[in-house]
Amino acid sequence: MTILTRSTAIAATLAAFAAPALAEQITITVWAGGSNDNDSYRVEAIEMAADILEREAAIRGEEIDITVDGRWDFAGWDEFKQAVTLGAEAGTAPNIVVTSHLDIAPWSQAGYIVPVEDYVDLDAWPLNNVYPNLMEIAAFGGTQWGVPQDSESRPFFFWRETMSGLGYTEEQIDALPDMVASGDYTLRDMLADATRAVEMGLVEEGYGFYPRVSNGPDYAQFYQSFGGELIDPETGQLVFDRAAMTEFYQFFVDAVEAGVTRQNHIGTDWDQWYNEVANGRAAFWHGGTWHFGRYGREGNEDFWNTIQFSLIPAGNDAGRPNTITHPLVYLLTDQDDDRAEEIAARLVAIATEPRLNTLHAIKSSHLAVAQVQQDLDLYSGDRWASEATEVLLASANAQPNHLQYGAFSEAMFSGLESAWSGTQSVEEAVAEVEAQMRATLGDDLIIR
Amino acid sequence: MRVRLLGIGFLAPALVAVSLFFLLPVLLTAVFSFTNMSTSTGISGGEYLIIETDLRDLPAQGVSAETVVQLDAAGYAITEVGLARMAAAFGADRAQELREDYFGDTFEARRDLERLLRDLDNNPIRNTRERKAAADLFAVTIVGERYDTEAAFRDALSDTGIDPSDHDALVTAAYTGWIWTSDNFSLLFELPSTLRYALNTAFYVVCTLAFNITFGLFLAISTFYLPLKLANVFRSIWFLPRILPPVMYVLMWNWFTWDNGFIATVTGWFGVPQQNWMMQTPTHAWTVIILINGFVGASLGMILFSSAIKAIPLPMLYASEVDGANRWQQVRYIILPQMRWPILFLTCYQTLSLLTSFEYILLATDGGPGSTTEVWALAAYHTALSNYGGNLQYGLGAAFALILVVIGIVLSALYLRFFNFKELVAKPRIEQ
Repeated sequence: MTILTRSTAIAATLAAFAAPALAEQITITVWAGGSNDNDSYRVEAIEMAADILEREAAIRGEEIDITVDGRWDFAGWDEFKQAVTLGAEAGTAPNIVVTSHLDIAPWSQAGYIVPVEDYVDLDAWPLNNVYPNLMEIAAFGGTQWGVPQDSESRPFFFWRETMSGLGYTEEQIDALPDMVASGDYTLRDMLADATRAVEMGLVEEGYGFYPRVSNGPDYAQFYQSFGGELIDPETGQLVFDRAAMTEFYQFFVDAVEAGVTRQNHIGTDWDQWYNEVANGRAAFWHGGTWHFGRYGREGNEDFWNTIQFSLIPAGNDAGRPNTITHPLVYLLTDQDDDRAEEIAARLVAIATEPRLNTLHAIKSSHLAVAQVQQDLDLYSGDRWASEATEVLLASANAQPNHLQYGAFSEAMFSGLESAWSGTQSVEEAVAEVEAQMRATLGDDLIIR
Repeated sequence: MRVRLLGIGFLAPALVAVSLFFLLPVLLTAVFSFTNMSTSTGISGGEYLIIETDLRDLPAQGVSAETVVQLDAAGYAITEVGLARMAAAFGADRAQELREDYFGDTFEARRDLERLLRDLDNNPIRNTRERKAAADLFAVTIVGERYDTEAAFRDALSDTGIDPSDHDALVTAAYTGWIWTSDNFSLLFELPSTLRYALNTAFYVVCTLAFNITFGLFLAISTFYLPLKLANVFRSIWFLPRILPPVMYVLMWNWFTWDNGFIATVTGWFGVPQQNWMMQTPTHAWTVIILINGFVGASLGMILFSSAIKAIPLPMLYASEVDGANRWQQVRYIILPQMRWPILFLTCYQTLSLLTSFEYILLATDGGPGSTTEVWALAAYHTALSNYGGNLQYGLGAAFALILVVIGIVLSALYLRFFNFKELVAKPRIEQ
């Protein structure tokens, strides 16, 4: 904003407050990506917030009639992101989007979104109670663009019965999260156990270690397990760590060679995958906190007696046990009507109220965004939410908001896929990814 | 004259269709491919914006180190100019309190100044938006501010006292829109994956085409010799792959080949270990992809070739039988020679459509395992329209696509020469 437009904005704001209040009709559209019926509170919380905002306005003597028009039935992330960006180009973007925090960098640069900090007081309730590290994930380039909508993290899972079959006592299985956190149980230990599980016939070949079937934040965790760093905090450049990348790829190649992971595992059908891990066909796997709810729907009603969870174990001495949180965020799109942006921002702030957010967290098996949510009965009474928060969230980091992170992540995964499927050796794959990243990322990359 | 107008009138819909659905997309692809267009640049132009994380890159773009330090340090300052604006917009009493207590103070972030305005002793600014607007009056920074036009950005640079010799470099660095560039093409040549995509595409097109034509011919000729009703039943069955929606068709292939699908179950009865017959190895993946696309193409070939065979006058075949020709000799010496034109047409059409088609591969293997079945068109799609991290590379994707367009046009020209097009459209010598 120039000084001139600033003054105009001030005049407009003052005029808005001075003018006698007339009934104001406003429609706020909300689109949520990556959501299903369990995530309905991504939209419904905005509807509830609209009700509260209308009542607040009525008390002040204003009459606002807010219609919330929500949508979450997108075929997938690609379709959702295309719809939002093309809508933004055409000037028909929804007022509020619920999306990955990774979209903040490109969308803010393109001018599709406006900073939430321009409309609401970050020092006021409830935003001042949101975990600071989560707020940080919804910021980019020194500006608070969005508000975290949920949080989650991505645990490592063990099938208890298989672990017993391998000779672990109940106490040892219960102690696994601590063993992993202290670095005493590593990915290499897991691989050895998985190999034994296959050899002993506890699980079928290819089901010792049963990883995610498509690209996603999860694979960055394994890079971190082997000492990789995604971004250099000093310079803000992305980091390609050759040794960590090699070890990370080698681990998956070793898993294939040991017969514990299928060479053609990538691309396995998600429904098949969920059903198999929920019912003990795999010894070790990894997923997200929302898997808890999904396993129930897949027929596993007894999560606590069948499955153990921990951080993603460290891979070697250079690495660390870790987990990535990949929060979705509420973002406000740029609209011609400043008033619509303001209302949208206030709705987002109200929807962050601990009670409203907790409805989403528990219904969708996600984690809280604010400290105080742990004091609410609904949250603290939910064993999964409390334990997952305790075991995972403290060690969670996020992928960096960086314009080029998408290219980085795609290249890293395509190299992993090539090595994993045996179409390239680990060295070839690492060399090709390095060349690819050098060419596409240029100055945004540090090679170590 | 009237006749000519009538001709043009009849052609008009075709011309409109060609312009809308071929020339315009090609033109747009060409334009996009010479830009660095991506999600972050937007499509419809840009504005001027420097954010904190940009500061590190500025020296490399010719901005002096002093200016970078100045930009980094700037923020919000209680100055006379700001106080005068404050007095005008929010009242002299508030401005006076600020002057007395905070004159000359600087704040790195607007949030710090907002806190101060909320906590004024005398008449604090209670409304959030008013507080933000008031804080903005004291801005002495351009970092994080978005300017609609170059002029506005240059004014802001002057207002905040940035060294004029750095203005041009800053304007270039701050522009958020797309720019013209040929970097996409040099990047394509530099990337190690490009050659692999090209080889994959060549392999895919040649194998699928060979399967299409051969199998289409086989179906057409074999159904020709069947009784009409039976032939129609067979043709209808073989036409299914083409009329099924692609998603459903590929889903059926998935059920057929998955590791708990039909093949795996049946071979399992004979002790073959369960495996995914689509994704087990690159050979499996290619075989399935060629079959998936091949059956779709072959069904079209079957229809075209069947009707072409029907156009052959039956007396020729009767005569050959009188001369003692067997079925193979009829096919070899009568049917195939009359099929040059449909074979040419189908070869041209299928080459071009296979070069650009990727939907069946996307649905079946999505380029896997390990990008062994990633063909050129699929790579274009992935680059331009699919990225988990969010920044879609429209320009680079268009560069991929443009190369396909060029190859398509060159191939069409070559085919026309090779098959001697002029002779083929000459008056037919049979059928009179």
